[in-house]
Amino acid sequence: MAASEQIVGRGIGNKVILASVIVVAIVWMLPIAWVLILSFKSNAELMISTGAAFHLPYTLKNYSDIFQTSGVFRWLWNSAVVSVGVTAGILILSSLAGYGFARAEFKGRDILFVLVLLGLAVPEQAVIIARHQMFSDLRMHNTYPAIILPGLSSAFGVFLMTQYFKAIPKDIDEAAMLDNASRFKIFWKVLLPLTVPAQATLGIFSFLGAWNDYLWPLISATKPEMFTITVGIASTQTNFAQSEGLGFLMAQAVFAGLPVFVVYLFFQKYIVRAVAGAAIS
Amino acid sequence: MTDVTLSPDKPTAAVRRPTGASIGPHWANALFVAPYLVFYVVLLVYPLFKGIWMSMLESDMFDNTSKFAGLANYYRLFNDKIFIGTIWNTTWFVAMTVPVFVTIGLLLALALNRSDRTSATLRATFFGTSVLSVTIVTIVWKMMYMPGNGAIAGVMRYFGWEPLDFITSATLALPAIAVTTVWWIIGLPMMLFLAALQQIPGELYEAAALDNAGRWRSFWSITLPSIRRTMLVVVIYEIVAQFQLFGQAWLLTKGGPNNASRPIVLFIYEQGFRSWNLGYAAAASEVLFLIMAIAAVAQFFASRKRVEG
Amino acid sequence: MRKLTTALLAGLVIATGASAALAADKTEISVSRFFGACEADYGSVTDVTKANGECGIITALINKFNAESKTTVVKPEIVEWPGYDQLTARIRSGEPPVISVMHEAVISDYSSRGLLEPLDEDFAKAGVDVNDMTDAARQGVTKDGKIYAMPFDTHTWLWHINMNLFKQAGLVDSAGKPILPKSTDELMQQAEQFKAKTGKPYFVWTLANETAFYTRTFDTLLYQQNANFFADPNKVNFSSPEAKKGLQLLTDLYTKGLTTKNQDYAASVSSFAAGDAGVFICGTWLIDTYDQEAKKSGALANGYAVTAFPQIYPGSPRVWADGHSWVLLKQDLSAAQRASAVEFMKFLWDNDFQWARTGHLPVRKSIIDSAEFKGLPHRGDIASLAVNGTALPAAVKRQFSIQDIEGEEVGSAIRGDKSVDQALGDAEHRINELLANTK
Repeated sequence: MAASEQIVGRGIGNKVILASVIVVAIVWMLPIAWVLILSFKSNAELMISTGAAFHLPYTLKNYSDIFQTSGVFRWLWNSAVVSVGVTAGILILSSLAGYGFARAEFKGRDILFVLVLLGLAVPEQAVIIARHQMFSDLRMHNTYPAIILPGLSSAFGVFLMTQYFKAIPKDIDEAAMLDNASRFKIFWKVLLPLTVPAQATLGIFSFLGAWNDYLWPLISATKPEMFTITVGIASTQTNFAQSEGLGFLMAQAVFAGLPVFVVYLFFQKYIVRAVAGAAIS
Repeated sequence: MTDVTLSPDKPTAAVRRPTGASIGPHWANALFVAPYLVFYVVLLVYPLFKGIWMSMLESDMFDNTSKFAGLANYYRLFNDKIFIGTIWNTTWFVAMTVPVFVTIGLLLALALNRSDRTSATLRATFFGTSVLSVTIVTIVWKMMYMPGNGAIAGVMRYFGWEPLDFITSATLALPAIAVTTVWWIIGLPMMLFLAALQQIPGELYEAAALDNAGRWRSFWSITLPSIRRTMLVVVIYEIVAQFQLFGQAWLLTKGGPNNASRPIVLFIYEQGFRSWNLGYAAAASEVLFLIMAIAAVAQFFASRKRVEG
Repeated sequence: MRKLTTALLAGLVIATGASAALAADKTEISVSRFFGACEADYGSVTDVTKANGECGIITALINKFNAESKTTVVKPEIVEWPGYDQLTARIRSGEPPVISVMHEAVISDYSSRGLLEPLDEDFAKAGVDVNDMTDAARQGVTKDGKIYAMPFDTHTWLWHINMNLFKQAGLVDSAGKPILPKSTDELMQQAEQFKAKTGKPYFVWTLANETAFYTRTFDTLLYQQNANFFADPNKVNFSSPEAKKGLQLLTDLYTKGLTTKNQDYAASVSSFAAGDAGVFICGTWLIDTYDQEAKKSGALANGYAVTAFPQIYPGSPRVWADGHSWVLLKQDLSAAQRASAVEFMKFLWDNDFQWARTGHLPVRKSIIDSAEFKGLPHRGDIASLAVNGTALPAAVKRQFSIQDIEGEEVGSAIRGDKSVDQALGDAEHRINELLANTK
């Protein structure tokens, strides 16, 4: 790796490249900076012109207002519950199934695996109408299970974990079998710890996917107290809010984006490593 | 969920096998995949077939007297200019975004494949937007695009130019959504390429350096061939993901103007939940499914050929 | 895993526990509404007279109700405007709110499916005198001979006028009233004059991300020409010369640069307040907002006027109108819940004057005739709307889908994406296709 860095980094070309990427990165952040500035302006001033953003006075009122309106906290909590639920569920189901498909033979396994792989070609949106009908008939909408469960049917995790388990050398579990360990014990004690990098990758993808999901929560979580943050913020993004409450809307956007952004900054290193892990498999 | 996780324990107890697992097939091994299969069948396979069945009904959100309609919904779909338009829009959107994801993602990865602090910060910058939810992303970009309040319009007016009508122009609306999408999730392809670049053995470059190969030549002869697999992964992933465009279009343009930015999924949503035409919406979903399946099969064969060849 | 489950359950318990405690001695009913969220400014205001704007007044009204009622707690659930997609999904899920705000134009979609409760008997028992309803309101909430909603307002399409710019353009008469067009020719001529004198476009139009503006304006032009475009409620007719004339007029105004361009709703609202143009074609709900703006020092300072959509065709002074109303959704309601729901509706009926302060027209004859209402600013200028406001025939289904289609196509023609003829043809075809496939 060090060598490749040297090669790429040689010459003055390197500095030019870096400088231009820095410029691009600054442009990249401009939209967010704009929203940030707007969030510190009063609604009344912004109603006349957003040009007001460039001069005094600035205010924290939009942020203090958030603490008085009930919605955002509740929505953040819902999103957290849903995302953690989906992530945990996917990790458990995919690890078990991945081990099963990679290591534990049974009759018809390979055909079954192909059938599961076919599921990769089914986009969530193609089944969304039927799913909505199912959950309606079961009277399950507006519950956490209704928002979480559909995410667990995705075949992506199973595919990823199967590949990962297959890549682990067979002698490791064969040695354990000679020690009279049960299948589940081998899975749990011997192989699962080896898959932590893949778990991290899958976990991050699943968490972000669930956190950012929009269409399913939009039609399943229709009671405001069950909104996820994505649906909740969308519900406040009305014409009215944009004309007469723009500053507040911007503050809400910043506030809703902040938690996951902070978590991201905190785990940044691991996320890079995790994505790298995905590429290896 | 707790119950489900415990179930794989049972086979070992049930079949009394104190002497440990045997190598070779055993029915109890199926219990590892069973929990997932339950979810797979109930929440994916069943709704898929239910959807196919619904697409052949003249069925309505609140009316339980659905009538069998055969292929009437499909016939109607392909005579529906708006629906044909959504297929075209979605395809055009995929064609606009996927190459950008690949090239910009790779360029960023090449430039930032270093271990210094600056590069780490820059990587964080480009990946950071991916963690924002689509609602926030569209609020941010509305504030950029809007002719009156928007930042871009402000800048253009400052220079004395007529502001561009991103959202109201039939030619600019979909590209505007594409830009927003690239800004939002460029981080993932970048990271995937970075990971691939870091897998390339340094000796290859050292050898090239000895040959006095320039930066450009080593890129073509070493870097590019080494990351071919990753490139394929990125292309497939992005095609599948961008075909499912919904939130950005719905929140930025509502599909307008003149249907120029209405994607297939938005059509499904509107037919189902606004016009209450469930059968018709289901038929549109099946068409989306078909397109994705064709894309998947094509990719599968393409990838086989390339890996072999 | 167990810990996680416990955490999930704990979260649920906390969340439901809080609302359960409130409802212990009073009956709680959920009321789903749009109009925005503004608890930050009005969360504790129970004196409705201190509230302004749609959001402020409805928030204060509900606060007041909750403070005064001995039997009922209203739990407001704020949704996106107009929110019918989600309401539909929610009804289908089997858990509708008890009460929801609903445009009168869409009531028949839901009432015809038996999703709403008829309210005639409840109103009689509660002492709501339905004969006091204005004709527009009563027609708006009556479907198949039954009353399905408590009307809340009639809202219509107006011209908001910047008098400061009108003066500059020489469009103010000796009595200080704005000079308005009486024909399409006059409209063109005055708009050109305005542009020449002020250097600004005559109109603020809401053109981006929007279908309501196009539909409401176009419908108004059709009404003014007496074009009966929904003679058959299952078939729209846009092939008339009137439709063509109306759309051509809008297109000409746009191409001649007599309107602001590319603005969305928010931009157009602020654009008018900032003095970018003379006339903003928009609804009743902005009267109070702009009236407050006229009291400040700005482009509108002491120079805001409002008028009914001027009659520019010889046909009739009719204008697009709709109304907000409150419906009771069909579900297993206890007698106490139903009583509470009606109690809340009666409260809104009693306080309809407060809502009319937004600029909307009240739904009670007694309020329209009251000195209190006439004393509100500008109300004399728009009183005619109570008579001239016109809605689509109640038998027309999916009126919000129609609004979207019609608005999209009209917009395409105005911006030049399509010819006028093609846009009208496409609109007609798409709407008829929709209605043909609607039960």
